[in-house]
Amino acid sequence: MKFLIALVSMSLVWVACEGATLKINGSTTVNLPAAEAAELLRAQRKLDIQIDTNGGSSGGISALGDGLVQIAMISKELTDADRAKYPKVHFRTAKIGEDAVALIVSKDVWDGGVRSLSKQQLKDVYEGRVKNWVELGGPKQRIVFFNKEPGRGTWEVFAHWLYGDSKKAPQRSFPEVGGNEETRNKVRSTRGAMSQLSASWADGVTVFALAIKTDSGEEIAPTAANILNRKYPMSRPLYLVTDGEPTAESKIFVDFVLSPRGQALVSKHGYLTLEQLGNH
Amino acid sequence: MDAMRKERRSTTYVLSLLFSSVALLFLVSMLALLVAQSVPVWQQEGVGYLTGLRWFFRTHEFGAMPMIYGTLVVSGLAVLFAAPLGIGTAIFISEAVPPRMSAAIKVIIELLAGIPSVVYGLLGVLYLRTWVYDSLTPFDPISGDTLLTGGILLAVMILPTIITLTEDGLREVIGTQRAAARGLGLNRAETIVAVVLPQARTAIVAAVLLALGRALGETTAVFLVIGRQDNQWPANLFSVRPVIEAGQTITSKLGGSEVTIAYGDPMHWAAIVGLGLFLFGMSLLATVTAIRFGQRRDRDA
Repeated sequence: MKFLIALVSMSLVWVACEGATLKINGSTTVNLPAAEAAELLRAQRKLDIQIDTNGGSSGGISALGDGLVQIAMISKELTDADRAKYPKVHFRTAKIGEDAVALIVSKDVWDGGVRSLSKQQLKDVYEGRVKNWVELGGPKQRIVFFNKEPGRGTWEVFAHWLYGDSKKAPQRSFPEVGGNEETRNKVRSTRGAMSQLSASWADGVTVFALAIKTDSGEEIAPTAANILNRKYPMSRPLYLVTDGEPTAESKIFVDFVLSPRGQALVSKHGYLTLEQLGNH
Repeated sequence: MDAMRKERRSTTYVLSLLFSSVALLFLVSMLALLVAQSVPVWQQEGVGYLTGLRWFFRTHEFGAMPMIYGTLVVSGLAVLFAAPLGIGTAIFISEAVPPRMSAAIKVIIELLAGIPSVVYGLLGVLYLRTWVYDSLTPFDPISGDTLLTGGILLAVMILPTIITLTEDGLREVIGTQRAAARGLGLNRAETIVAVVLPQARTAIVAAVLLALGRALGETTAVFLVIGRQDNQWPANLFSVRPVIEAGQTITSKLGGSEVTIAYGDPMHWAAIVGLGLFLFGMSLLATVTAIRFGQRRDRDA
């Protein structure tokens, strides 16, 4: 009996602790500054914050929709389809910065001379008409395309740019990659590899961001300047999303990321801050 | 004194009855839930759900065969690699080394069993992928993410199961039988081959089947090294080539982001749940067969 009482009281304590925990889930891109913000808030404000990146942006939205977390991190626009899936949830987005999706290649491809791709060339690769880098002015090496999983913000932005609407993208089966770390690791370790990745994760040492070649032949790299002046096409907003106006711990967290100190973290990880975006 | 003991026994009895019925209730309600939620996909696809070769969720095509193939190949490879090694290790531990040393080896092997699968997965990503990719270079694999990589990783993970259970089976062979064999003039190796192994046969089969059950359901480690490429179906079922290509298992699909997308779309959700149901059935089959083998051993003995 004593054992049972102990068990019940332990679980009650556990439930009580659960109530005070701020839970966050979503995009690995937003996670970088958010996790660091969480670290600071844990130390300074004694907040209990649990932050995960299960399933990327769509994982964040579904966790928020199901009430499993208080904040979702997403690295794409919140669509009507997302809202329609959870009619009872009042999604409120707080933009914390901007980032771009880059097409990254492994070192052998970059050294082989591939520095940019046009939209048509990219479609040819994605639809399987072009299978070797030779056809794109590169080394004689099979193209290994790692596709970001469906539901990842990166994939949504990529497909939206290439096909106008991610729903219109052709159905293709590639080896798939999930988070940014996995993407970078697999592209780095595979000859002839290519994938989509957050531009600030393309370190230029192990994986390299290609420029986009416009119809007039201009090569536009995903640099901060090109994202700011909207010349680079695959830029994307980064959001913290809550159900209704953020309150209590959620509000502390969102306000912190929007404050100068939080924005410094956004900038530190290579993303564009609200100030940079506003000044333009 | 007597009354107290009786009382205690009855509490134990009631509690164990309670907890085992809770376990049974969980099992039955889980099965019922899986069946109920997967109904739409069975209605739409029929048997084609299991035999279909195309899985494209945006156009609502759900054919699970390539994933079933991936699951069977990866688990089959794992058993192929782990069984000889595991059985050999078990023979070594139980027959060849002094008891104190065999106890020490057993402890180490049981520690191996306690390592979380994500650790195996990360080791797989860091070292095994690269090793497989480099070793297979002459065959031009597309990357280090292959069915073979998953199979090798799983083999390491199911080794402790095979070793521990086989070793238990070997130990159950009665000492007098060994002595009799030696008395008839058989040497140690002959005793093992002619007397011990045949008597432990059912235990060994049961060990391998239980390990297979574990391999079928392993998710995290496989997820990280399998490549997760849909619709990989070999032109020739018996060719070796697909083994060094990327693929998809049922578990790697269930561990992926499609699950969060499927939520809210009844048909897609049903297709995902159906995969769970099928996987559940496969592991159940492997486990139940293993237990049946174990029972036959008891009867034979």
